Amino acid sequence: MVGERRSFVLIDAKMQTILEILNPSFLLFPALLGSSVLGLVCPLVGAYLILRRTVFLGLTLPQVAGAGVAFAFWLHQLGVLSTLGGSERTVGMVGSLLFTFLGMGFLGYLEQRGRGLAEGRLAAAYSLAGALTILFIVFNPAGEVEILSLLKGEVIALSGTEIKILLGVFGSVLTGMLLFRREFLLASFDRDLAFLLKGGNLLWDVMLYLLAGLSIAIGVIMAGPLLIFGFLVLPPLAARPLVRGMTSFLTLSSLLGVLMAFFGFYFSVRLDLPLGPTDVTLGCGIVFLAYGVSRVATKIGAALLILTLVAMSVTGCGTTTPTAPLPEAKTLKNETLWLAKVKNSTGLSLLLPATNPLRSLAEMAGKISSDYRQSVMDLLRDHLRTELEQKGFRIILPEERDSRFPPLSSEANGAAVVAREGKLSGLIFVSEIWRWEASSRQFVRVLIDFKIIRVDDGVVLWERRVQRAVPTPSATHVGEAYMDAVKIVAHDLFA
Amino acid sequence: MDEPRPLVSLRGVSVGYSEPVLRGVDLTIYSGDLIGMAGPNGSGKTTLFRAILGLLPILSGSLERDCLLSDFGYVPQSTSLDPNFPLTAGEVVEMGSYGRLRPYQPMPVEEKEKTKKSLDQVGLSHLAAKSFFSLSGGQRQRILIARALLVNPKILILDEPLSGVDQESRKAITELLIMLNGEGRLTVFFSSHDLEMVRSVAGKILRVDKGKTWWEKEGVSSL
Repeated sequence: MVGERRSFVLIDAKMQTILEILNPSFLLFPALLGSSVLGLVCPLVGAYLILRRTVFLGLTLPQVAGAGVAFAFWLHQLGVLSTLGGSERTVGMVGSLLFTFLGMGFLGYLEQRGRGLAEGRLAAAYSLAGALTILFIVFNPAGEVEILSLLKGEVIALSGTEIKILLGVFGSVLTGMLLFRREFLLASFDRDLAFLLKGGNLLWDVMLYLLAGLSIAIGVIMAGPLLIFGFLVLPPLAARPLVRGMTSFLTLSSLLGVLMAFFGFYFSVRLDLPLGPTDVTLGCGIVFLAYGVSRVATKIGAALLILTLVAMSVTGCGTTTPTAPLPEAKTLKNETLWLAKVKNSTGLSLLLPATNPLRSLAEMAGKISSDYRQSVMDLLRDHLRTELEQKGFRIILPEERDSRFPPLSSEANGAAVVAREGKLSGLIFVSEIWRWEASSRQFVRVLIDFKIIRVDDGVVLWERRVQRAVPTPSATHVGEAYMDAVKIVAHDLFA
Repeated sequence: MDEPRPLVSLRGVSVGYSEPVLRGVDLTIYSGDLIGMAGPNGSGKTTLFRAILGLLPILSGSLERDCLLSDFGYVPQSTSLDPNFPLTAGEVVEMGSYGRLRPYQPMPVEEKEKTKKSLDQVGLSHLAAKSFFSLSGGQRQRILIARALLVNPKILILDEPLSGVDQESRKAITELLIMLNGEGRLTVFFSSHDLEMVRSVAGKILRVDKGKTWWEKEGVSSL
C-alpha cells in the first residue's frame, strides 16, 4: 500500500510538472513554445536533407552559422556593427544569416563545378567553420562567456520579442514546406519527371535550400547549432523505419520533433539539465527505440513509440523525491528551530557584488563592517528566516549561543552530532548548496538540499531538494539574478 | 493526301556528354507508332531518350517536337530511383498529376479518381498503400507506367521496362504496352537489350550499337 501511495505521489508530482509546464502563465512557457516550434518545423526541412542524402549539409550549415554569430559579435565589439542596436541576438542573427547563405552559395558553386568529393567539401567547411568560431571568440576581447552562452543557444532565455521572431520565421518556413511539398518531393525524388512536368528543378532546389538556410540561420542563434542539428536530423531518422509513405513520414517526423522538444524540456526542467544536450540525447534514444519497435508492424510501431515516450515521462525515469509539506509549527510543540548557516558545497565563493544595495543598507545601519561582503548563503538564510517566522516557527540562530558555530551539512547524522556538540537541542534547519550558477543573467541553475533534523537522534522530519533553473528575467546583472533567485527559492520552498 | 506531322523528329543528331555516344541519329516518331529500340547495355539508349526528353542537350543536328515536354510520359528504370524515399505505390502514381496542380492546390477529387484509374489500368490498384520499394521489379515497373499514364501523355517512353523483371511480369508488361498502343492509340517508344523481345512487341525496331543507329528493316542509317 505504501509503495502504491508512493507511486501515486510520484505520478502526481510528474503530472503536476507537466501541467505546470503547459500553463501559459508558466515563466518558461515561451521557451517551451519556441522549442516546440523548432521541433515541429526543423524535421520537415531535415527530412529532405536526409532523403536527398545531404545530411552532412545539415551538420555543416549550423556550424557555419555559429561562426557567423561569433564573427558578428567580434565586429560588434570593435564597433563596426554598432548601428544594429543593442540586442546581442540581433547582431548574432545578422552574422548567422550572412554566413549561412554565403556558405550555402559557396558550397553550391563548388557543387556546380563538381570539383572533389561532396562529403569532402562539407567536411572541410565544417572544420573551417569550427576553427573560425573559436578564433573569432578568441579575437573578441570581451564577453567570452556571453558569446559561448549564445552559441550554446539558450532557448530558455528567449525574450518575448525573440519568440515572436522565431514564430514568424518558422511559421513562414512551415507554410513554404506545406505549400511546395509536391514540388520539393518531385525535385528530390525524380528530377527527370520534375523537369518534364514543372519545367526545371533549379527554382525548387533554391526554394528548399532557402527555407533550410533560413531555419538553420535563425534556429542557431535562438537554440544553438547542436539543438538545431538534432531537430533537423533525429526525428526524421526515427520516423523513417516506422512509415511507408511520404505523407506519414513528414507527419510522424514533425510529431516526434514536438515530442522530443516537449519531453526534452520536461526532463530538463525536472532534472535540471541543459536543454540542448537533453533534447539531443532524448532524440537519439527515440531513434534507437524507433528501430526497435519497427520490427513490429509499422503503424503499431509508431503508436508504440509515442506511447512509450509518454509512459516514460509520466511513470518512470525521472528520480525525484516526493515533496512532503513542511510540518506545521504547532505540531512541533513550540520546539526551538535552530536555523544553521547555509553550507556552500559548490567550491565557489558566491559573494554578492559590491554594488549590492542590501550591503549598503546594512553598512549604513552599522550592522556590518565595510570590508564585509554578503554572500548568497547569508541572503538565503535571511529569507529562510523570514519565511519560517511567517509560518509561526520560533527561530534562533546557533551563533547566538556560540559565534563559532559552523554551517552544517545536509547529512542528517553528521549535522545532529555537530549540533549536540554545540549544546543545541530541539530541531535544526540545515541547508546545503551543491550548485549555484548563472547560465545567463536570466537564469540561475540551483541545487540545494534543505532538511529539518531532530538534534537528539538525527531523524529527518522534513526534507526538500530544490533542483531547477530559476528564472530571473528582470535582473540586469548577475548579482541581481542571484538575489532574485534566492528570493524565489526561499518563497517556493514553503509555498 | 498530306503526310502526318511527326511528333518527334531527329535529323543527324549527335548525343552524349563530353564526347558523343551516338552520332547522326535520324529518327521520326509518328502518332500511334510502337517503336522498340534494341541494343546492348551502354550502347546509348538512355542517352538518346534523355535527348528526346530535353534532359540532355543535343551536340549537333536538329531535334523537333510537335508536343510539349509535359506531353511525354517517361518511365525510367526503377533502379534509377532512390529507395531511401518512403513512398507508397499510390504516392508514386500521384506524381503524374503534379504537372496539372498549382503548388498550393489541394489534390482535387477528380485527380484522385484518375490516379485510381491509372492503377486499375496496370492492374495494381490493390497495391496502392504498399511501400513502392517493397514491390517486385515487375510491379514497380507497372506502377511507373501507371504514373506515366496519369500524365495523360501523347508519347510513352519506357527505358528498359523489362530489365530485372520476372517472366510473368514481362508478359504482363508487354501485353500492357500492346494494349495501350492498340486500344488507346498511344504512341509508345521503349528500349530493351533483348532483341527478341523487341521484335515480338514493336512495329518498328531501331537498333543501337557502337555509336550507330539503324532501322532493322532499312539497314544502318548513320555512322
